[in-house]
Amino acid sequence: MTEIVQESIDLKPETITKKDITFAWLRWYYANEIPHSFDRYLAASLMWGLMPILKKLYKSKSELAAAYQRHLLFFNTQITWGGGTISGIMASLEAVRADEVYQNKPISIDNDVLYNTKAGLMGALAGIGDAIDSGTIQYIFIAIALPWAQEGLAIGALFPFVAFVLYQLFVGYYFAQLGFKLGRNAATEVVGNKMQMIIEALSILGLFMMGILAASYIKVSSSLKFTLSGKDFIIQDTLDKILPGVLPLVVVMGLYFYFSKKGLKVTKALIGLTVILGVLAAIGIL
Amino acid sequence: MQEMHVTFLQAAIISIWVAMVMSRGLGGATLTLRFTPMMTGLIVGIVFNDIPNAMITTAAIQLIYMGVFSPGGQMPSEPAIATAVAVPVALLGKMEPTAAVAVAVPVGLLGSYLYQLRFFFNTMIMKLTEKYAEEANSKGLTFSIIVLPIICSFALFVPFMFVALYFGAPIIADVIKSNAGGLVFHILNVIGGGLAAVGIALTIYVIGKKSYIIFFLLAYFMAVIAKPLNITMVTYAIVGAIVAFIFVLAKNEAVNSAVDQPRNNSNNNNQVDDDDY
Repeated sequence: MTEIVQESIDLKPETITKKDITFAWLRWYYANEIPHSFDRYLAASLMWGLMPILKKLYKSKSELAAAYQRHLLFFNTQITWGGGTISGIMASLEAVRADEVYQNKPISIDNDVLYNTKAGLMGALAGIGDAIDSGTIQYIFIAIALPWAQEGLAIGALFPFVAFVLYQLFVGYYFAQLGFKLGRNAATEVVGNKMQMIIEALSILGLFMMGILAASYIKVSSSLKFTLSGKDFIIQDTLDKILPGVLPLVVVMGLYFYFSKKGLKVTKALIGLTVILGVLAAIGIL
Repeated sequence: MQEMHVTFLQAAIISIWVAMVMSRGLGGATLTLRFTPMMTGLIVGIVFNDIPNAMITTAAIQLIYMGVFSPGGQMPSEPAIATAVAVPVALLGKMEPTAAVAVAVPVGLLGSYLYQLRFFFNTMIMKLTEKYAEEANSKGLTFSIIVLPIICSFALFVPFMFVALYFGAPIIADVIKSNAGGLVFHILNVIGGGLAAVGIALTIYVIGKKSYIIFFLLAYFMAVIAKPLNITMVTYAIVGAIVAFIFVLAKNEAVNSAVDQPRNNSNNNNQVDDDDY
């Protein structure tokens, strides 16, 4: 008699707290790209992040093994928006499931529900997250610090690094808690109206800073000059009289249209531009 | 003559730093460490005891790698690896920052193949992870998910970087130094100055919405006009934030009033209907 009671106490899932979610987020944040593989991408990282929570929820070895295994299917997303939100949602769904298992109820959160939720969110959130975090926020910090680096100051490297890491830790923490609180509904919050406004404003700020950087740092000028009936013509001076900064703008817009037509062929663009600039420099036009 | 060497210790420290970044063993912070050359440049500066010149060169390298990050995990070039080789070469050969950029590009491309090899190792290790998951072996999982991939990446990146730095960098620096001042350098400088456009164009493309290019153009001509005023980046960032805020605010007002309009109309209609009764 006592033995049975003992066992059922042992198998009861523990309650998942805010602290557990924070810990899971930090574990995912650490593991993130370490086990990146061709066939599963970041599946193992998310699983490693959720491990302490799964251990708290599934006290029987077979259920724990099953939980570990179902989180090893293909998974790939962005670290904060995607990984943060999905860690939180998975924790809340697993908690519901563990309760159903313990009480011998029919399982509503089956493997398919768990995986489809993950798969449905990972792409959309990665798209937003990559564009905002890596593509915009990171470069806003760098744009601010670049002049310091050009003066030879260490702060030019330290500022964007520290600022971006703190930003990521904070944003991921926020999304993990949000995901946990809202369960499966978290996605609507992320793509909701207010968030959309913030994303839009950040995009504009990002583009604005790129304009400043382009004007300050792309150096394309003509070294072409010739003498016509005793008068010196310096092409760059003439260009500056009509539209200052026109050559760098032509190069950057040309590349932009190349990317929009052909997709993100960065290697080709790098090599192509190197050849074009090299030839033009060699024949004395640039 | 002493200056033209990379010491064993210098090569070792930089190699280990690169391995820590590329194995992603420093955690999520390696996202920005791998995609931007800045911190690697600083480390090289500290190791060579020349932070100012290392930072100036790194700033030039950063410009071509603006906007480089990996949607979906693939990346065309490895900024951290490129920097770890190009900055020592620039410091040893006393090169212009823009010329160092031309050295960085091929090294970075090479580095990306190495990173692919890392995925290959991890794919093999995945078999072990599956086995431990089946056994619910939590300690084993930490070993196969965290420890083993880091060890493999170190085995991959440390020797490669060490050879490139200890043997490669002085040779490249030598060759470049003996050609100083000629047409080759003019070409390298032109290429280096223009390649910054790749990173910026990429960022514009990634940030998205075609019609918003107008904000890029606004800022571009603003900066061209205001160049003699030496306005700081922080000031520009504040102006940019204000512009973005005004735009979103105005757009939202417009949307709200558009939503309100028909509602008012239908209310009026209802009132008319009520009167008719």
